[in-house]
Amino acid sequence: MFYIPGPVIAALTFPGIIIHEAAHLFFCRLFKLQVFDVCFFRFGNPAGFVVHQESEDFTALFFVSMGPFFGNTILCVIFCSAAFLPVWELKISDPLAYFFYWLGLSIGMHSFPSTQDLSHLWDKAPELAKKGNLLAILSLPLAGLLVVANYARVVWADLGYGILVGILGPIAIFKALAR
Amino acid sequence: MSEATCCACGLTASIRSLFDLNGQTFCERCVSTASREARDRGQPSIYMPLISRSICARCNTFIGEASSGVQIGGARFCQPCSILIKDWDYPVWLKISLASLLLLLVTALVHGHKYFHAGREMYRGERLVVQGRYAEALPHLQETLTVAPRSDKASLLAAKAAILSGDVASAAKALHDHDNGNYEDGQSAEFLEVSRLWDRANQALEKVDQAVKLAQQEGRSADAAQLMHEAASLYPQLPGVAFAAESLDGGAAFDRGDYDTFLRVSEKQWKENASSESAAQLSSALACKYAVTGNTSFRQRAQEMMERARDLAKDDADARKSLDEYAPRIQYRLDSRRVISKAEYDRIFRGARGPAKPK
Repeated sequence: MFYIPGPVIAALTFPGIIIHEAAHLFFCRLFKLQVFDVCFFRFGNPAGFVVHQESEDFTALFFVSMGPFFGNTILCVIFCSAAFLPVWELKISDPLAYFFYWLGLSIGMHSFPSTQDLSHLWDKAPELAKKGNLLAILSLPLAGLLVVANYARVVWADLGYGILVGILGPIAIFKALAR
Repeated sequence: MSEATCCACGLTASIRSLFDLNGQTFCERCVSTASREARDRGQPSIYMPLISRSICARCNTFIGEASSGVQIGGARFCQPCSILIKDWDYPVWLKISLASLLLLLVTALVHGHKYFHAGREMYRGERLVVQGRYAEALPHLQETLTVAPRSDKASLLAAKAAILSGDVASAAKALHDHDNGNYEDGQSAEFLEVSRLWDRANQALEKVDQAVKLAQQEGRSADAAQLMHEAASLYPQLPGVAFAAESLDGGAAFDRGDYDTFLRVSEKQWKENASSESAAQLSSALACKYAVTGNTSFRQRAQEMMERARDLAKDDADARKSLDEYAPRIQYRLDSRRVISKAEYDRIFRGARGPAKPK
C-alpha cells in the first residue's frame, strides 16, 4: 500500500471534507443543537470539525453522527451518475464528466463518520437497543461496520467505498430506469 | 470567594473541586448521583466544573458571575459567543459554493441528456439481448451507437443482436464502425462471444455463396442443397437459408427424376411463402407430374400456378424477368410431356441466338 500524506489527500478531495462538515452542521441545526465551533477545511488533523452541544436525544445523536455518511453517499451517487455513462459505458471524452467524477469520488471518499462521531453512538446505542429503540438497533451494526471501515482507511477503504458507490450506484439507477 | 458548599452533603470545599449541575453546586462525590437523578427526572444531567462557569467555554473570556453569561447545555458563554452559538449560520461562501454546485449539476444533467438517453437505450437493448429478443434489441443499441460510436459494450451488444437476428449488414456496421474494429479488451468474454458468432456467420455466408454458384451448374443441385443445409445449421438465424436449402432439395429431386418429392417440396414452399418464385416452382413440379402421368388435373393446376406466378410478379421486374425465362420451359413440358433440363432446352430452342419460342 502506498502512502500519501494526509494534507495532500485533503487538498485533492477538499469538496468531500466541506460537504461532510456541512452535513454535520445541517443536522445540528435541524435538531436545534447549539454549535460551538466549525471548521470546514484545514490542513491538519482532523481536516474539518463541528463542535456541538451534546444531546440526550438519540435520534439527534444518530443523525448528527451519521448524517455525513448518508449525505456524502447520496451526493457521491448523484455526481458520479452525471459522469458514469459518458466515462465508463459510452467512452466519450467529456471534461465536464471527468470533473463530476472527481467531485463525486471526493465526496464519497469522505462519507465515513469519524471514530469520535461513532463513539457517541456506540456508547448510547446498546442500552437503547435493549429497550427496543429501532434506530439504536440499526445503528449498532452500522456503527460497528463503520468503525472497522475507519481503521481500514490505512488501506484506502475510504477511496474504495467512494469508487464502489460511484460505480455501483449509477449502474443500479440506470438499470432501474431502463426497465 | 474561594470556597462553596455542596448542596447535597453540606461539604464546604474550594470551588476548584466543586461542580455545577443545573445551577446547583455539588462536590465530586455527590455530583454523579445528582446527575443520574436529574436524568431520571427528565432534567438536564450534564454538569461542569464550577470554576468553568467563570469563563466563556468558547473564547475563554472571564465572565465571573456576570448576568451577561449565558448557560447553554453544560457550558457558559459570554454574550457575543452565545449569539453566535444560538444561530450558527452557514457561511456565505458555503452557500454560494453549494448553489454553484447545484447549478453545475443541473448544467451537467442538461448537457448529459443525450448520454442518459443513449445509456437508457443501451440498458434496454442489453436487457432484451439477455431475454433473447435480438431483433427488438437492435434498434435500441443502434440508437446508442449514434451518440457513442466508441462504446465497446454498445457495439458488441449491437453486433451480437444483429448476428443473432440474422442482420449481417448491421452486425458488420456495428463492428467496423467501432474504431475500425478495435476493442479495448480483446480477451473479454463479450468480445470473444461476438467474435465466435461473427466467424460462424461468415462461414455460413461462404457456404451460401458456394451453394448459389453450384445451383447454377447443371446437375449440381444436390451438392448445392447440401452446402445450403450446412449453412442453415451453422447460422439458423440467417433469413431464407433454410428455405433456399429446401428449394434446392426440390431441385435435386428434379435432377434425379423424383417428381413426387419435387412436388411435395414445392407444395410446402408455396404454403410457407406464396411468391412468384414458389408459384413457378410448384407449376414446374405439377408439369413434371403431368408429363409422367398424363393426368390432366396436374396440367390444369400447373397452368393455374403459372398464372398466379405472373400475377405475383407483375410489380417485380426481377421476378418478371426470371419468369420470362422459366415459363416457356414449363409450357414446353405441358405441351410435349417431355421433361428436359434447362441446358437441353437452351440448346434445342435458344442456342446462340438467345431466347426462342418453344415449338
